[in-house]
Amino acid sequence: MAMLNWRPWATDHEQLNRLHLLEKVPLFTGLSRRQLGKLLVKLFEKNYHPGETIFLEGEPAKALFIVLHGRVSILHAGKEGVEQVATLTPGAYFGELALIDDLPRSATARADEHSTLLILYKSHFDELIEGHSTIAIRVMGNLLKALAGYVRAAHARRAGPPVTLADAPLPGDAIPTPTDRSR
Amino acid sequence: MTPEPPMETSTGSSSPTQSRLTPPPASIVWGVAILGLALLLYLSRELVLLLLLATGLAYLLSPLVRLAESTAIRRDVAVTALFITLVVGLLVMSYFLLPRLRSEFNTLYAGLPSLTERLDAALDAVQKEIVAEYPVAQRLFPDREVRYERLNAFIERQTADLPNLVGHLATIALAAVLIPFISYFLLRDARKIIQFLMDRLPAPHIETSVAVSCEIERIIGRYLRGLALDGMVIGTSAALGLWILGVNYPLLLGAFSGLANVVPYLGPILGSAAAVLIALIQFKSLAPLAKVVMLYLVIKILDDVAIQPMTIGMSVHLHPVLLLASVIVGGHSFGLIGMIVAVPAVTVVQETTRLLLERRRYRAGLLDPHPRTRFPVQSYVC
Repeated sequence: MAMLNWRPWATDHEQLNRLHLLEKVPLFTGLSRRQLGKLLVKLFEKNYHPGETIFLEGEPAKALFIVLHGRVSILHAGKEGVEQVATLTPGAYFGELALIDDLPRSATARADEHSTLLILYKSHFDELIEGHSTIAIRVMGNLLKALAGYVRAAHARRAGPPVTLADAPLPGDAIPTPTDRSR
Repeated sequence: MTPEPPMETSTGSSSPTQSRLTPPPASIVWGVAILGLALLLYLSRELVLLLLLATGLAYLLSPLVRLAESTAIRRDVAVTALFITLVVGLLVMSYFLLPRLRSEFNTLYAGLPSLTERLDAALDAVQKEIVAEYPVAQRLFPDREVRYERLNAFIERQTADLPNLVGHLATIALAAVLIPFISYFLLRDARKIIQFLMDRLPAPHIETSVAVSCEIERIIGRYLRGLALDGMVIGTSAALGLWILGVNYPLLLGAFSGLANVVPYLGPILGSAAAVLIALIQFKSLAPLAKVVMLYLVIKILDDVAIQPMTIGMSVHLHPVLLLASVIVGGHSFGLIGMIVAVPAVTVVQETTRLLLERRRYRAGLLDPHPRTRFPVQSYVC
């Protein structure tokens, strides 16, 4: 009977670890193990040295990155010089805008320590979601939630005190324009 | 904290005293390197062909390995199991199909010495049939002696290499063992090879390299898998159609049509010509010939309209003139295999150049950094 139990012997433990990590990536929440497996075989892996630049702001964007090991900093060139906007640890992802449009990178990414990243090329992602509508709906839904969260956080940082019902315009009052509302 | 400055793309100006030390432009270095590589590949073309065929087989089988890998099964286990299954499958298929194919081949080979006489008799019968219907056509046909001499010379030319084929059997047998052997190791170690290359690539080039690698894999993989599937469908349809029409050697002709189909343009013509030739000798009449031609026309139309779009699809975006030119150049350089690999090879070069130039133009600021700004952007989100 022991001979028949071939699964542990045939299991690729590195691949299994990557699969477990993908389960924790917020972008892939809600995907089944089988769907994650389909995604897993599309990923490339690369090791980065401490201080090595992963990509530069303004460069063509073609891939999404997932941190497998190590730490990555996201840097953005502002009016007061380069500022660190985020530090990412295993399970985090970055460069997700590459999956949405063909615009250049909006920030720079740099490895802070020895880091291993998983890379998902845009064409591979497109190919995957074209053939699997469930994966497309789940991943795009997660991506939209992340972007919505980012927009809300940005609004919260810029906005004043919350608007109450008493502040709402009465019928007949001038309705503010979209531009006014964004302020 | 400061991001790395972009790479220098130009060699810059230098003073006259330094001009002797100025390295040649990168484009010249790359050009010489590519030419040198092409020459090296041409000189060792037999090995290159062997490697190409092994890579082709690996690409054909890779989706099955990926399927196993997606369930976290070890790659070496998956590849070994796949090859064992393939060998067993081939043995089983040989057990059922090989005796029939061999008997068809033996009958065909035994009839080769009298091929000229039989073909001449068949042509004579068809000629008489045409003249009986349209007497004016008599002027279009040459005398029987002239026709016989021409036919004899043509068949001698075409069958001159046949005895050499036996001499090549050892090479073919060696290739039949070496190709799956190399393919096994390529498939088993593909991830390690990619990992090795990825870790040695400089970070600034990684995204373009991944893009190029993915495009190559997509083009070659889809093209080869599509071609194999297309060949199988064509071969089976031709064999079935010929069997229904009562033409001799349906299995052999079907297998030939399926194999020949992998050569763009020329393949379908060769496949149908072989069937027409056999039908001509067998029936010595126009009507069955017309049926065979119709069968191949229907198969070709179905292939172009329904089968190819589903199998090969849009994996190849070559201009028809470039496609034909690549087939001719491939045929001249590497023979039959060159004709088959020419199309995906040129497509890969085209796509790679496009991606590399895109990056170059991005860096040089020639590419519009906002190519999709036509999408309406709202001035607010809430």
